[in-house]
Amino acid sequence: MKRSKMYDVLEAYILKNKESHYRLAYSYVKNKDEALDIVQESIFKALSSVDSLANAEYLKTWFYRILVNTSLDVLRKKGKLSYVEDIALELNSEAKEDVYEDFDLQNAMDKLPHNYRLIISLRYFDDLKLEEIAAILDENLNTVKTRLYTGLKKLRIEMED
Amino acid sequence: MDNMRKLKKNYEDVEIPEELDFVVRKALDTHKRKLKKGSKKGLKWTSGVAAAVLILFATVNMNSSIAYAMSEVPVVGKLVKVLMVKEYKINEDTYNAEVKVPAVEGLENKELQNSLNEKYLAENEKLYAEFSKEVEELKAAGGGHLGVDSGYVIKTDTDRILSIGRYVVNTVGSSSTTFKYDTVDKQNQILITLPSLFKDESYIDIISENIKAQMRQQMKEDAKKIYWVEEGDISAFEKIKADQSFYISSSQKLIISFDKYEVAPGYMGVVEFEIPTEVLSEVLVSNEYIK
Repeated sequence: MKRSKMYDVLEAYILKNKESHYRLAYSYVKNKDEALDIVQESIFKALSSVDSLANAEYLKTWFYRILVNTSLDVLRKKGKLSYVEDIALELNSEAKEDVYEDFDLQNAMDKLPHNYRLIISLRYFDDLKLEEIAAILDENLNTVKTRLYTGLKKLRIEMED
Repeated sequence: MDNMRKLKKNYEDVEIPEELDFVVRKALDTHKRKLKKGSKKGLKWTSGVAAAVLILFATVNMNSSIAYAMSEVPVVGKLVKVLMVKEYKINEDTYNAEVKVPAVEGLENKELQNSLNEKYLAENEKLYAEFSKEVEELKAAGGGHLGVDSGYVIKTDTDRILSIGRYVVNTVGSSSTTFKYDTVDKQNQILITLPSLFKDESYIDIISENIKAQMRQQMKEDAKKIYWVEEGDISAFEKIKADQSFYISSSQKLIISFDKYEVAPGYMGVVEFEIPTEVLSEVLVSNEYIK
């Protein structure tokens, strides 16, 4: 595909999906101005590296990857980013299960480590395939699956697929 | 999957700000404009942005340390002084506030002096109260980061003119910065407002046109600078407000100031324009303040 054509496709995609992109950014930073900054910067990055996108089929994955990385950069700068090892979360989740009678779902979601929350969000809110999520996060498919199940378990949501 | 539906609903219920469409189109436009200007490869946006942010921070930090140094020394030559009268501080792990309240001393016009000082105190008390409230709310909601830094800088202090700038840097999320100024004629003991400098309201258009020309010139000379000025830009800068933030520099030039986001993308920070006096000569009441 010619560059200018790809550029047009990208532009149309950006305009069409701006709200999804904003929501994702917002889910990270929980702050309007910052989420807007992330959207803006992601667009700049995407436009200036559109050459690196060879196939329009991967446009969505490619853009989400930029969006996620930009969001993470912002969190990192704020010192808010904490990774949780898979095992640590498992243990935590077991220990806490009993106190969930008065279950505040959204609160539990917000408390999930971002790398777990993101997978749930991409899978169920943005309807991305697990393979696409793996590509966005640069993780292997099994890791993504494990995190998804662990995250859902912590939220006590039954899987259907 | 009811729970998932609830979560999805919450996610989708996040309010989409009105500015989103603008921000997105602006980003697309900006890129196109840059391409037209003939840069061969993709712009290094990130480095440009980082550098601009750094400069903004350095400036603000520098200003606050200057302000601090000045607060301990009587700054205004003979009689009129600006002092730091009050300081609020919160220093907890993720909550930081530093609010410095200035006060003017030595003006014979006590009414003017009191009105300025009461305004400064009220502004800062309000800021501090709002901040404390936000912290409480955030703590109740499980914690987070919040910061505010407010203080003042003496922009100009000559025998005649005192310009005090007060800034608020909100470091919640992306930092927003606002600047407000008061300019006092020390000899006549009056507060100078922007309209009071001019014969009639034509100054608004004259200054606005000059600023637009300066914006275009700066963008031409430096690819990293962006102002929202082009026709067709959504919410492009059209005119200054009748009471736009301004101060008078020590060389007696008129400086017009815009808050972060007012006329340019966030990374440009607070921007100022010096208006050449020649441009204003027709409408100035006199050359007493502006030369």
